[in-house]
Amino acid sequence: MSDRRHVLVAEDEALAAIAIEDFLSRKGYRVTLAGDGQEAVERLRDDPADIVITDLRMPRLDGRGLIRELRGMSPTLPVIVMTGYLTAESADDALTNGAWRPLEILRKPVSPQAILDTLERMLNGAA
Amino acid sequence: MPGGPVNIFDTSHFLPHGICLLWQPELLALHVSSDVLTGLAYYSIPLALVYFVWKRRDVAFSWVFWLFAAFILACGTTHFFGVWTLWNPDYGLQGIVKAATAAVSVLTAVALWLLMPRALALPSPTQLRIANQALHREIEERRQAEARYASFFNNLAESLFVVIVRSDGAFVIDTINPAHARATGLDPAQICGRPVDEALPPDIAAHVKARYTECVAAGRPIDYEETLDLPNGRRTWHTVLVPMRDAHGHIVQLLGSARDITERKALQEELVQASKLATLGTLAAGMAHEMSQPLNIIRIWAENALSRLRDGDLDPGRIDKVLTLIGEQTDRMGKIIDHMRTFSRRDGGGTQVFAPVESVRSAVELVQNQYALDGITVNAELDEKTCMVRGRPFQLEQVVLNLLSNARDAILDRQEAGERVGRIQVGFLVNGERQTACIAVTDDGGGIDEAVLSRVFDPFFTTKEVGKGSGLGLSIGYGIVEAMRGRIEAANIDHGDGRRGVRFTITLPVTRPSLRDVEMAHV
Repeated sequence: MSDRRHVLVAEDEALAAIAIEDFLSRKGYRVTLAGDGQEAVERLRDDPADIVITDLRMPRLDGRGLIRELRGMSPTLPVIVMTGYLTAESADDALTNGAWRPLEILRKPVSPQAILDTLERMLNGAA
Repeated sequence: MPGGPVNIFDTSHFLPHGICLLWQPELLALHVSSDVLTGLAYYSIPLALVYFVWKRRDVAFSWVFWLFAAFILACGTTHFFGVWTLWNPDYGLQGIVKAATAAVSVLTAVALWLLMPRALALPSPTQLRIANQALHREIEERRQAEARYASFFNNLAESLFVVIVRSDGAFVIDTINPAHARATGLDPAQICGRPVDEALPPDIAAHVKARYTECVAAGRPIDYEETLDLPNGRRTWHTVLVPMRDAHGHIVQLLGSARDITERKALQEELVQASKLATLGTLAAGMAHEMSQPLNIIRIWAENALSRLRDGDLDPGRIDKVLTLIGEQTDRMGKIIDHMRTFSRRDGGGTQVFAPVESVRSAVELVQNQYALDGITVNAELDEKTCMVRGRPFQLEQVVLNLLSNARDAILDRQEAGERVGRIQVGFLVNGERQTACIAVTDDGGGIDEAVLSRVFDPFFTTKEVGKGSGLGLSIGYGIVEAMRGRIEAANIDHGDGRRGVRFTITLPVTRPSLRDVEMAHV
């Protein structure tokens, strides 16, 4: 269905990705999965998404690389970052200093409900 | 007298010799007194010679003195006969006495000439005196040297002992110095001069005898570390044994020195433990990520299942799947935790025989996934040939982890500078011929400046920026490898495709497991 919102999930841990896909699908979203940043960029070229959810540490192209690419393609595309990496934050990091807004960070382990809440808030805010 | 046989003892035809002197009393008195005095003097000389030889039984060629005595005695007798024949014409008897004197005289004269070279070879009293003085000086020097060595032996802080190697192969404790007595608590009065078996408790005796035998068999100095339960308690020693040979080249003594390294060992243990925790610290961030992955999966699956339950969309098949998956993920976390726990645990005091390839594999597995996320591949080529070394498995793993961590830091620096690098090669090779196991960790992180390459194992040496490295990792790794009687080396490597890096090589001597070790490993 074309009126369903399109979510791209970039996550190298397949088991996490398919559960997020199942959850968001049941909540009425169309979900595309990508195993790393590079795959995400390729899929988005063919099929643009309304919002991107991404892990930070991934092989090939990591989360930061992906967001950098996304900002090149669309400065306003909402992004949700999921991370379990504690040292991800530093004061002058583009991730945390607001340079890459609209962007939200969720800590692993993430709750699917928290993903949904954030996602809806960002999409509605953007709408 | 003409015609008949001549009887020289028949004196009837002769006149006494006094007639020749016309019985002049003055002339007679002169001859008689001179001959008697000469005869008496001649008789006294052999008495003196015999007395001398009798008293000085050590004198050389004493038979010559007897010959001289006989010769002079004979001469004296001829003088007395000269007096006798003044009145009695016993010229036959006088001739025989003269003939005997002639025989002894000739014999003595010949003997004297024959003896001359040997007599000349005899040291003169002057020579003897000089030799004697030299001997005295040498004795004095030796006495002083001995006093000096005894003073060393008795006053040095170093523990020293001397073991006699008997010709039957038994070891006897000759002496121990006061420092050794203090350090060990052994009583010199109780053990010196006694065979090792009797002087020491059986288990210690067996242990030290094995070392002494090793030294004798090697025929050269050996050194080793040993931990012994002595009267002063359990102490660890660094002992050096030096074999001493006699003139025939047989080993007759072992000189031993022992240094108490108990405290140093304890400090080393502390340092190794501290460094291990530091390694653990650098791994912590990665560990948190490793842990957050299964935790994340569990939460997402559990909450998704809960959401399905509330929506009335949860069948038993899905429940089964979710719970199985959660079980698997907790298992994954359990393994990570186990690894951290065993790694951070203090190793027991003793070493064990173990397969080094397992420590290498374990280290590689611990970081492989994490490093992959940084765009670094860790490629391991491990020789599966069975090979055992002596040491502590987690310490070796720590060394390999440290090398991997350094490799990653170097690569990340190059990557930040925009270079396309990120390969770590871990090799494990058994050299059956040399009886060694070789572990090599090679990176493409740009290499180390040749000028500082030799210093990388120095304590507190680091090329990392302030706050990033303690500079203790490699030096402690060096200590660990050395304790395993192995060595660790660093060399720059040119990969040939523009990438450069460092290769660290650890070489360890292979051990044959004793039965006891095999049993221990199965406990």
